[in-house]
Amino acid sequence: MFAFLIRRLVQAVLVMLIISFIGFSLKHAFGDPVRDLVGVSVSKEERDKIAEKLGLHDPVMVQYVRFLKNALTGDLGYSYFFKKPALDVILSKAPATLELVFAASLIIVFLSIPAGVYAAIRPRSFLSRLIMGSSIVGVSIPVFFTAIMMIYIFSVELHWAPSFGRGELVTLFGFWPSGLVTLDGLEHLIMPSIALSSIMLPLFIRLIQAEMMEALQSEYVKFAFAKGLKTFRIYMVHAFKNTLLPVITVGGVQLGTMIAFTILTETVFNWQGMGAMFVEAVERGDTSLLVAYLVFVGMVFIVVNTCVDLVYGLVNPMVRVAGRK
Amino acid sequence: MKRTLFALAIVAVAALAFQLAAAPAAQAAEGKVLKLAMDADPVSLDPQIQLSGGMLQYSHMVFDPLVRWTKEMTIEPRLAESWEQIDPKTMRFHLRKGVKFHSGNPFTAKDVVFTLNRLKESPDFKGLFEPFEKAVAVDDNTVDLVTKEPYGLTLAMSTYIFPMDSVFYSGKDESGQPKDALVKTGPSFANANESGTGPYKVVEREQGVKLVMDRNPEYWDKKSPGNVSKIIFTPIKEDATRVAALLSGDVDFIEPVPPQDMKRLADDPNIELVSMPGTRVITLQLNQKRREEFKNPKVREAIIYAINNPGIVKTIMKGDAMAAGQQSPKGYAGYNPDLTPRFDLEKAKQLMKEAGYEKGFEVTMIAPNNRYVNDEKIAEAVVGMLSKIGIKVNLKTMPKAQYWDEFDNQVADIQMIGWHADTEDSANFSEYLIMCPNKETGMGQYNSGNYCNPKLDELVIASRSELDMDKRAKMLQEVEKIAYDDAAFVPLHWQNLSWAAKKNVKLIPIVNIMDFPYFGDIVIE
Amino acid sequence: MWKKFLASHFLWSFKRDWVAMASAAVLVLLLLASLLAPVIAPHNPYDGTNVDIMEAETPPVWMEGGTSKFILGTDAQGRGILSAMLYGMRTSLMIGLGAVFLQAFMGILIGLFSGYSGGKLEAFLMRLADVQLSFSTLLVAIFVGAIFQMVFGVASYEQMAVPLLIVIIGFAEWPQYARTVRASVLAEKKKEYVEAARVIGLPARRIMLRHILPNTLSPVLVISTVQVANAIMSEAALSFLGFGMPVTRPSLGSLIKSGFEFIFSGSWWITVFPGILLVVLILVINLLGDFMREALNPKLYKGA
Repeated sequence: MFAFLIRRLVQAVLVMLIISFIGFSLKHAFGDPVRDLVGVSVSKEERDKIAEKLGLHDPVMVQYVRFLKNALTGDLGYSYFFKKPALDVILSKAPATLELVFAASLIIVFLSIPAGVYAAIRPRSFLSRLIMGSSIVGVSIPVFFTAIMMIYIFSVELHWAPSFGRGELVTLFGFWPSGLVTLDGLEHLIMPSIALSSIMLPLFIRLIQAEMMEALQSEYVKFAFAKGLKTFRIYMVHAFKNTLLPVITVGGVQLGTMIAFTILTETVFNWQGMGAMFVEAVERGDTSLLVAYLVFVGMVFIVVNTCVDLVYGLVNPMVRVAGRK
Repeated sequence: MKRTLFALAIVAVAALAFQLAAAPAAQAAEGKVLKLAMDADPVSLDPQIQLSGGMLQYSHMVFDPLVRWTKEMTIEPRLAESWEQIDPKTMRFHLRKGVKFHSGNPFTAKDVVFTLNRLKESPDFKGLFEPFEKAVAVDDNTVDLVTKEPYGLTLAMSTYIFPMDSVFYSGKDESGQPKDALVKTGPSFANANESGTGPYKVVEREQGVKLVMDRNPEYWDKKSPGNVSKIIFTPIKEDATRVAALLSGDVDFIEPVPPQDMKRLADDPNIELVSMPGTRVITLQLNQKRREEFKNPKVREAIIYAINNPGIVKTIMKGDAMAAGQQSPKGYAGYNPDLTPRFDLEKAKQLMKEAGYEKGFEVTMIAPNNRYVNDEKIAEAVVGMLSKIGIKVNLKTMPKAQYWDEFDNQVADIQMIGWHADTEDSANFSEYLIMCPNKETGMGQYNSGNYCNPKLDELVIASRSELDMDKRAKMLQEVEKIAYDDAAFVPLHWQNLSWAAKKNVKLIPIVNIMDFPYFGDIVIE
Repeated sequence: MWKKFLASHFLWSFKRDWVAMASAAVLVLLLLASLLAPVIAPHNPYDGTNVDIMEAETPPVWMEGGTSKFILGTDAQGRGILSAMLYGMRTSLMIGLGAVFLQAFMGILIGLFSGYSGGKLEAFLMRLADVQLSFSTLLVAIFVGAIFQMVFGVASYEQMAVPLLIVIIGFAEWPQYARTVRASVLAEKKKEYVEAARVIGLPARRIMLRHILPNTLSPVLVISTVQVANAIMSEAALSFLGFGMPVTRPSLGSLIKSGFEFIFSGSWWITVFPGILLVVLILVINLLGDFMREALNPKLYKGA
């Protein structure tokens, strides 16, 4: 276990090195950060002076080595736009996104498991068909459309929910501005988390249903029925536990993706998290923030996927990722 | 694990209960609060860090200019009470007495000198202030602005001089950096602190999230009707969300208003919508270096005749723009009333025939997709219109972050550009967009059409040092006429400016065609 | 071959499932309509000569102001919605199916190999997946777009946009497959039948493709059918951010996106008709996917 984690740590460093290198060698594709810093009428000479000062005229390798040197001391560069260390910017935006993803994950877990399990147990019933059919509507409507429709119906017409932002925040533990502990904050959280979960739900409902149907056909479930165990216990312990492997795998990937790139939901609800920051950085050509962010996201994925690999062993003892070969 | 979760839940519930109890006290604020939503917030608290619409809007809230434009495009006194031209190169300003900065320091002529010197250092403003030699403090309340040559726009440029507190911005900050350092990409004292003379003081700022300002209790302008004690400024980038925020009542004032939502806002009895002709012109440039065809004035003219720009204004812009036949909008010195939009498909086909391109040809075009109002849709419509005279256009649109490098590299035959004259003056359009491109003088910096007519250049240059305003206007109108006859570029329209607010917010008196509403004077009933 | 198919369990269960048959009928109809779009569409919406801006936002024929020229009305540029939908569906289907095929192909291969072989190769491939995951569709779109423009210039973008988007969306999302297949392989490879196959000396490739792969197909099929919708949505999302199909050749997703701005000013038809078509399209693909999953899965014993 310990050796496994050490190995992962070494791999993580390598991955982040590769990500930052790719980021650096392609960063010109994002556009010129200096453009966004100055007005349109500023001459090329002035722009060149600024670029020179920022070291943007140095060869890519020189810039990259400089970045690595600073990264060793925990400095991932300065965001040109926010005029702050990039890591500080990312960390200040993280709570917003994590709370949104947390709420959306809750919705997904509490809806997809009962719905998926039910649809597997009674595949021919009307309700199952309704669940399976209507869940598809969720993925076939673009999330920006779902989001703006919700705003118009529930904020503009009915005045039930606030239309944008995070509402009233309270700083917890001295660094975490949280909307989870105020009523206003929770009200602001409802619509974005529903919108975000709407695109992920169908995938999970369908995965659980498919896997569950397989599990119900397996020998051990039949055997358990034959043994006369309680039905509920068979469904949840024998069958459901065996559906978890792909669900957790996909869940891990989706969780990482939600943390990293909840772009559209955050944009439409003006939710000031990492997704909105990412778009801002792309639109403003804030390349140093982008590279730092990519490294950060790489870390998120490695952490999440490592956890997933560890969970495999718990769910299915036949799978050994962590232990010795 | 389970236990920790449980403990966390208890903490959350307790904190929630505490919060609920505490909430009502926080809400009891005195005075009127204005919740403002725009598409972006100011990038810095330093008014000289960037020359952009957003920064000028901020400057008018927290600082005051020497003089400012009125709705009628005349100049009214602000920190300067009066002024006179004492010789062709010198203008003397008499400053208002008893004005204090937010820091409590008194405002004097020294601050104006400090401000102008700093403007001349600023990468963004130094171009505009290039004609200025220096500012001289004659006494505490008198300052002379001296230009290198006789200059017709001294007064207009003074609308950009927002005096900064020279005492406040002197010395060094904790990191040893001078407090007046102009830093575009890192932390600086001026980026994070302000001391102006303006109607509002910044009390809280989180970049990209919100900017909170309180009314300056010692504001010098006692005649200002403004009764707002607090402004909460939230940037909302997404058009639809911004409109929804106003309709749902979560904000009081929005800018800009997307054309497609204007009808809906206009129909709402609780909302006031104001739209007025703006000064930003949207044009297409036809690159004569890339395309032999575009060297032929007949082809360029045919393209202008083929594009139904009144149609674009009517449909895509929903009437929220003014179809253009020239660069200068109405009200500018160079505006020439004879130069109207030319849409005539038959004439266009005729011209193509005369030019020998009856069969048409194929070209490329690029346009931004998040820079101007409906830029992408406009480009799309142009593609359709040009196909009707046999010109097949391959269009690529891209976000502005990628666009300008491509524009400078002139990667396509037709390129879109919009322009707003920072000087609020006609000559500025020509200097950047249609004068012969010249690396040395910096003229024609955005002339990707490579149109070049020395006669036009001469007129624009001569207009600069012309102090007789009527004569100057004649020259600039002549410039527009030449560009019109040469079909130097394709004029599309001038974007309107639009604002919307709740009915009780009196927005009409504070807005103007320069797009910096004077929030100091805003009244909420 | 054909006879074998007629006698198969697959066809037998198909004929007994009216949902599957109806879905198949609708899907065939939609595929035909999109294939024949140039023939059956009233206008060619990709050709500017047919489009008149002054006819923009014409309502459908049964509403006041509608004309029989445009049965379902026109969009903001004056394109007939019906024609635009038919052409757009063609584009969207190509992108959706193409991208999913590419993702599945890359993902399954990488997942199989890394799961089966384990060790260094597995670590390398899975970390590669982590790298790829960090570069979202948007970033891949920016990079690929920039490289493309450098190599080919602006002129050929319109022609190349569809294959380009297939590559972008396909590349960006293979790790999902790779990780899922790997997880299933990890669970399967310890089972007796794999051990048995190995003991009798079957080559690794055969064990992977013929023995393990069929047993991992259930999640792969679920992901694939949902992923078609996601790929079409990814294209719409990219066009929301300015990196999608050229505006002059809208896909179904970008039609919905461009129409949604107008829904509150009353021109609901620009978004609603393409939206309904997209929902129907995705629905039948998924219903058919559900059916195939049940019919083809070796672990399910049908007919009970």
